[in-house]
Amino acid sequence: MSNIAAKAKELLESKAVQVVIGYEAGPTGVVRPAFITDAAKADSLIYNENCVQNLAMYLTKHEVKHIGKMGIVATLPVMRSIMMLISEQQVVPENIVVLGIAEDGKLLDIADMNVMHSHIEKSNLGNPTKDQEKLAELNKLSIEERFKFWEQEMSKCIKCYACRQSCPMCYCIRCSTDCNQPQWIPVQSNTQGNMDWHILRAMHLAGRCISCGECGRACPVNIPCHLLTMQLSDQAYNYFKVHAGTSVDMKSVMSTFEPNDKESFII
Amino acid sequence: MARIGVFICHCGENISATVDCGKVCEAASKLKHVAYATEYKYMCSDPGQSLVKNAIIEHKLTGVVVSACSPRMHEPTFRKATAEGGLNPFLCEMANLREHCSWVHEKGEATTEKAIDIVRTLVEKVKRNAALQPIRVPVTKAALVIGGGIAGIQAALDIANCGHKVIMVERSPSIGGHMSQLSETFPTLDCSQCILTPRMVEVLQHPNITLYSYAEVEQLDGFIGNFVAKIRKKAKSLDEKACTGCGLCITKCPQKKIPNEFEEGMGFRPAIYVPFPQAVPNRPVIDKANCTYYIKGKCKVCEIVCPTKAIRFDQEDEVIDVEVGAVVVATGFDIKRADFFPEYGYGKLKDVIDGLQFERLASASGPTNGEILRPSDGQKPKNIVFIACAGSRDPAKGIAYCSKICCMYTAKHAMLYKHKVHEGNAHVFYMDIRSAGKNYDEFVRRAIEEDHVNYIRGRVSTVYERDGKLIVKGVDTLLGAQPVEIVADMVVLATAGVANPGAEELAQRLHVSYDSHKFFAEAHPKLKPVETNTAGIFLAGACQNPKDIPDSVSQASGAAVKVAALFSQSELTREPLVAAVNRFGPPLYSTCVGCFMCQPVCPYQAIEREEIKSRDGKVIKSLAKINEGLCQGCGTCVALCRSKSIDLYGYTNEQVYTEVVALLNDY
Repeated sequence: MSNIAAKAKELLESKAVQVVIGYEAGPTGVVRPAFITDAAKADSLIYNENCVQNLAMYLTKHEVKHIGKMGIVATLPVMRSIMMLISEQQVVPENIVVLGIAEDGKLLDIADMNVMHSHIEKSNLGNPTKDQEKLAELNKLSIEERFKFWEQEMSKCIKCYACRQSCPMCYCIRCSTDCNQPQWIPVQSNTQGNMDWHILRAMHLAGRCISCGECGRACPVNIPCHLLTMQLSDQAYNYFKVHAGTSVDMKSVMSTFEPNDKESFII
Repeated sequence: MARIGVFICHCGENISATVDCGKVCEAASKLKHVAYATEYKYMCSDPGQSLVKNAIIEHKLTGVVVSACSPRMHEPTFRKATAEGGLNPFLCEMANLREHCSWVHEKGEATTEKAIDIVRTLVEKVKRNAALQPIRVPVTKAALVIGGGIAGIQAALDIANCGHKVIMVERSPSIGGHMSQLSETFPTLDCSQCILTPRMVEVLQHPNITLYSYAEVEQLDGFIGNFVAKIRKKAKSLDEKACTGCGLCITKCPQKKIPNEFEEGMGFRPAIYVPFPQAVPNRPVIDKANCTYYIKGKCKVCEIVCPTKAIRFDQEDEVIDVEVGAVVVATGFDIKRADFFPEYGYGKLKDVIDGLQFERLASASGPTNGEILRPSDGQKPKNIVFIACAGSRDPAKGIAYCSKICCMYTAKHAMLYKHKVHEGNAHVFYMDIRSAGKNYDEFVRRAIEEDHVNYIRGRVSTVYERDGKLIVKGVDTLLGAQPVEIVADMVVLATAGVANPGAEELAQRLHVSYDSHKFFAEAHPKLKPVETNTAGIFLAGACQNPKDIPDSVSQASGAAVKVAALFSQSELTREPLVAAVNRFGPPLYSTCVGCFMCQPVCPYQAIEREEIKSRDGKVIKSLAKINEGLCQGCGTCVALCRSKSIDLYGYTNEQVYTEVVALLNDY
C-alpha cells in the first residue's frame, strides 16, 4: 500500500475527512479521479507520472463539497489552486486536508496552510519550461502572424467548454457565456465567436492562472489555450511581481491598486 | 409594445446650424417602436416641455428620448417633464446632439448621420429602461467635527445653534488650535486670544456640543446620514469629574524641563499640564512619555498633592462608537520648521525662528511676556529680518503653491516688532506682496509707510552666523539685482503652510481624497469647495489649503449650512442609479459566487458581505451586497464581475449592449 493510500485510510478512519479526492487506475489502466468515502477502498489510490489532472476543481463542486470535509492529493499546481481558492473565499481552509506531493513523488506533511505556503514559496513558480518555450516562440512572431496562428487554432474550437470545466479557477455557478440577456458570447461555434470566448476566458484568468495547463490538456481538439492564460500569468508577474496562488491572503492583481503599480501597459 | 417619443431640440442654432434636425426627426419617426417624433427650437422652454408632457398623454408613450444637450445640463428638466406627463421619470433619456455632435463637427451629411445614430442608440436603450424609484435613506441628526481649531469651533457652534447635536473631537488636550497661539491678528491687530477664548468656552458650555479633547478618530464607517465613528479617547490619567482644575499638581510636578509644544519649544512645561492658561477644557493631562511615574514606576507627587484625589494612573484609553449623519473635517495645517532650510542654517541657528515662534514671542502670555527677545541671549534684536516665501512658491523644495497667509502675517510681525522695539529696524525680503482681502493691502501699506518697515523685493540666498550676529545675504531685484547684506540680530522665516502630519492617514480612514501635498481635496474647485468626494463629509479651514482666519471661519459656516441642510430632512432621497447584485429565490439565491473581487475596487467602500443563512443559522452562501446609500453608480464593480452578477440600474448590461448593437446594425 502506498503512503498516499495509507494516509487516506487513516484520515477516513479517524473521520478527519469524509472524502479523499485522489487518482485511481480505471478498468483500462487509464488514470482517473477518485472520490474515496470508504476507508476500505483507500487502497485503490495511486500516484504516478500520469496523475496530472488538477484535482482542485472538484473542491468547489457542489456534489463533492457537500460530502463533508475533503482530503485532496495535491501536487504543486493543486496546492497553488487551493491557495487561490482560499484567497478568493471559495474554500474554507478548515474544511480541507492536503495530502501534498513533492516533486519527487514523496508524500509531504502539510499540517496547515502556513506549511503549504512555505512549500510553495520554495518551489519553481514560473510556467512549465515546455510552455514557456512555446510562448517565447509565439512572442517572436509579428502581431499579424500571431493573430493568424490563434485564428487558425480557434477555428477548431467546438465550444465544448472543457477548458472551463477543467479549470479550478472557473468556479462561477453561472458563467458569463451562459448569460443570454445580453448574449455576450455567441452560442454556436464560429471563428469570431470562438475567439470572443477564449479572450474572455483568458481575461477572467488574468493574474489568477496558476499555470497548471489543465485547460490545454482537456481540450479535445488540442487548442493550446493554456498558453493564453500562461502568457497573462507571466505578464502579471513581470508587472506586479506576484505569482498567483502563493498565499491565503493574496490580493488580486486585477482588483487592487497600489500607487507604485506600473502602468506601462495602459495605452 | 414600446411606444417611444423622440423630441429633437434645435437649441436655438446650437444644434440646427450643423445638424439637419428635420432629417433627424424624419429618420427617428421611421424607427421601430417610435410612436411620435417632433422637433422644436427650444425644447427646454416651457412650451417645449409642454410638448413632451402632452405627447406622452396623447400618444400613450412608454419612453421618451430628448435629443438635445448633455444630460448634465437638462436631464433633470426633462425627467421632471416626463413625470408631469404621467410617466416614470427614469423612462426619459437624453440623446446628446450638442456636446457630442453639433458642437464638435462641421456642418454636413456625416454630422446629421451621426446625430441619427445617437438618437437610434438611445431609442434602443430607452426601450429597456426600468421604472426606477428614488432611494430613501434615514439621517442621523448629529454631526462629527474633527478638529477644534477656529474652523472646527465655528462649524460646531453653527450646527449646534441650528438645534443639532455635535460631537467635537480634538487631538490635543485643549481646543483652540493655531489661533490660540497667535498674538495679534491682521488686519485689525486685535488680540487673538481675546476673540477666540469666548468661542472656546461657548463650545464647552453649549448643550448641543459634546467635546472629546485628547481624542482621535480611529475609523469611520457607513455613509451619508449614517456614519459610525470610532473615537479613541486617550487616557488623560485623570478623573475629569473629580478634578477642579486648581493646578496644584502642575506646580508640584518635578519634571519641569519638557519643551512646551504650545510655546513652539521656546518654553517648558511639566509632565502634568494644561497647554495654556485659557485652555478648554481647563483640566490637566499627564504626558505619559515624559512622566517620571510612567518611566521609572515611582513619583506620584501629583496624586499626593491633589486635594480631590483626581489622578488615575491606571486609566486606559477608551474607544467609543458614535453615530453621526455628517462629518466636518477641520483638522487644520502645520508649518515647515526652520530645520527644513539648509540655506537658513538647518534650524541650528538659535535666532532663526519661524512665524509661529515669533507669534509666541510677541504674545503677552508667551515665554517673554510679550517682549521681543532673542532666543539665544535674551537681548532685544536691533535689526530684524523677515523672509517671506520660505519654502512656498518653490517647486525645487516640492512646494509650488503660495501659502497665502505669510504676506499678511509678515507685515503684521514687522509692525508688532516696530511697535515694541521703537529704535529697531525691520527688513522684509519678499517675492511679491499678495494682500488681496478686505483692508489687507491698506494694512501692508501701513507697515511700509507709517511703521517704516524696509521692504526689499528679492530672495535670501543664505543666512549664517558671524560674531554673534546673523549675516543675511540677499538681493534687491528692484535695484537691478544688487546684492544686499544685512547684519541682523534675528531672522524670522515665514515658512510654508503644509498639511498636518497624519493628514494622509486620516484621509484614508475617512475615505476622502487628498492632493499631492496631502491637503484634503474638495469635490469641485469652484462649485463644491466645501464638499468632499464622499457624500456627507465636508471640509472647513486650512486642512484643505492654507487659509487665514476669516476664510476658515466663512468656510466653516458654509460647511455648517451644508450639514444643516442635510439634517433639515428626516430622510434623504437620491437617484436610484446604483449597482446591485442579482438575487433570486432558493436554491441559487444569486449568481454571485462571493469571490469579492469587487470589494477592493469599489472607490466608495459600498460593497459589503451578505450571508444567507438557513433557519437554523447555518450559512448557506456568502455574497456581495451593495449598499445603495454609499454606491455612486460608477460601475467599476460591474466591469470586474466575472459572472455578470452585478448590474447598474439605468445602465444595465442589457441597455449598454443594445446601444452598441444598435450602432453596429444597419437600420
